[in-house]
Amino acid sequence: MSSPDVPESVAVNREVWTRSNEKWGDAHALAAWQQEEIGWGTWHVPESQVLVLPALEGLDVVELGCGVAYFSAWLARRGARPTGVDPTPAQLQSARRCQRETGIEFPLVDGYGERVPLPDAAFDLVLSEYGASIWAEPYRWIPEAARLLRPGGRLVFLCNSTLALLCSPDTGSVEDHLLRPQFGMHRFDWRSDNDGIAFGLSHGEWIRLLREHGFEILKLVEIQAPADAETHEFYDYVPAEWARRWPCEDVWAARLR
Amino acid sequence: MGEAVAVRRRVGGTAAISRAERGSVAANVAQWTETNAEFTDGAAERDWNDPELKWGVFGIPESEVGCLGDVAGLDVVELGCGTAFTSARLARRGARPVGVDPTPAQLATARRMQRQSGIEFPLVEAPGESVPLPAASFDLVLSDYGASLWADPYKWIPEAARLLRPGGRLVFLTNSQLAHLTLPEEDVTPGSMLQRALYGMWRTKWPAYPGIEYHLSHGEWIRVLRENGFAIDALHELRPGDDAVDHTYYYAHPVEWARRWPAEEIWEAHLR
Repeated sequence: MSSPDVPESVAVNREVWTRSNEKWGDAHALAAWQQEEIGWGTWHVPESQVLVLPALEGLDVVELGCGVAYFSAWLARRGARPTGVDPTPAQLQSARRCQRETGIEFPLVDGYGERVPLPDAAFDLVLSEYGASIWAEPYRWIPEAARLLRPGGRLVFLCNSTLALLCSPDTGSVEDHLLRPQFGMHRFDWRSDNDGIAFGLSHGEWIRLLREHGFEILKLVEIQAPADAETHEFYDYVPAEWARRWPCEDVWAARLR
Repeated sequence: MGEAVAVRRRVGGTAAISRAERGSVAANVAQWTETNAEFTDGAAERDWNDPELKWGVFGIPESEVGCLGDVAGLDVVELGCGTAFTSARLARRGARPVGVDPTPAQLATARRMQRQSGIEFPLVEAPGESVPLPAASFDLVLSDYGASLWADPYKWIPEAARLLRPGGRLVFLTNSQLAHLTLPEEDVTPGSMLQRALYGMWRTKWPAYPGIEYHLSHGEWIRVLRENGFAIDALHELRPGDDAVDHTYYYAHPVEWARRWPAEEIWEAHLR
């Protein structure tokens, strides 16, 4: 990308996700596509418990930071018309392979959440699960989500919980105490831990930002790891034991007025 | 007198107690009768004479927070008004407040201050869970460390909705979620350690005090507010200014802590 407008994080994160896709994402993409149930986050907590999605049949959906696009595939199977957007070509390639293997086809767009090359007011649902919701600059992608939605459209995103970010050291697993101040939280540079540049806000600031861009707050679901959950074999920075006591993931649902 | 009181009391609460343990109103009346004798009665004159609207233990000015707007001409009910100095400040701005509190000792202090100041408004003895006032008769329900902390939210939030006219606003301040998670059981200064799980937070009791407090996670506040017909307008996570100092009496979280993490938060909502 040559535009001076492209955030530094886009290139950094593309590199991280290219590597991650090679180590884990590509090999597990098809199994994720074939999962029957819609589930959220590390613990795959079923949508039937989280209850943040509208009726999906016939909805135009854009997934910001779709990765290998398993979430879009789940929505397509339920009658939605998804478009997957991601800045990492390697992940989009994995997604295209899964499309060929499953016969579930939908548009995939090489783009990043801060500036999405899709028209205004063209979608009923903007979705992001560990996508733009953590890897894109919120002061740019939330206005993009508002632009992409039709009036009354819904925004649903899963991100690292505010609490988990406050309890995360620069390297290694989340701890049981606050390691960084909440005031001023915004950008998290995990490059010293071989990871990307992520973003996160306090709950008050998410509410302020969403409302500033015309959203009505519907829900904040603080995801709890189920009693029988085990620490994820690849995404292991949050131990299951921690996530049974405190949310490691927040799901926000909002509606454009 | 208030500034010189030697006894200090923490604002936050701790251990969860069983649902079977009822009677939080009586427990809180006992606690606030004691607190009134130790602190709030002595502080009432200073608090009533100070016209500035301020929030929380660090006295953050409403002019910085901006969650009330113009209150002139509004019918306001304050749930858990204590000695009612906030209602008095609203009355000075042209609002028509009604103060509600379950603790007779604090209402007696409030009445004394009304006589002394000439600022008069109704005072009603009742808990936030069951308010003997008519439906749809207020424009603003306010609670500053009142029902917001000491009443059961599953009962007082529906009461707030009942009391408000359509479009009416609810503004309340309570301990922040993070303050509650980090407050130790022992009577020591809180640090950064998470002392208890977020899941299941609701009714809590501090072992050294009779009072019973209520805390919800942010997600649960949003859920209960929306369930009762409210739209969420803001969550103000308060940070004390550079000139703020530790409170002389309420010391749940020291000012140094509160500059890094919010010790108090204000929810702002309106009835749809």
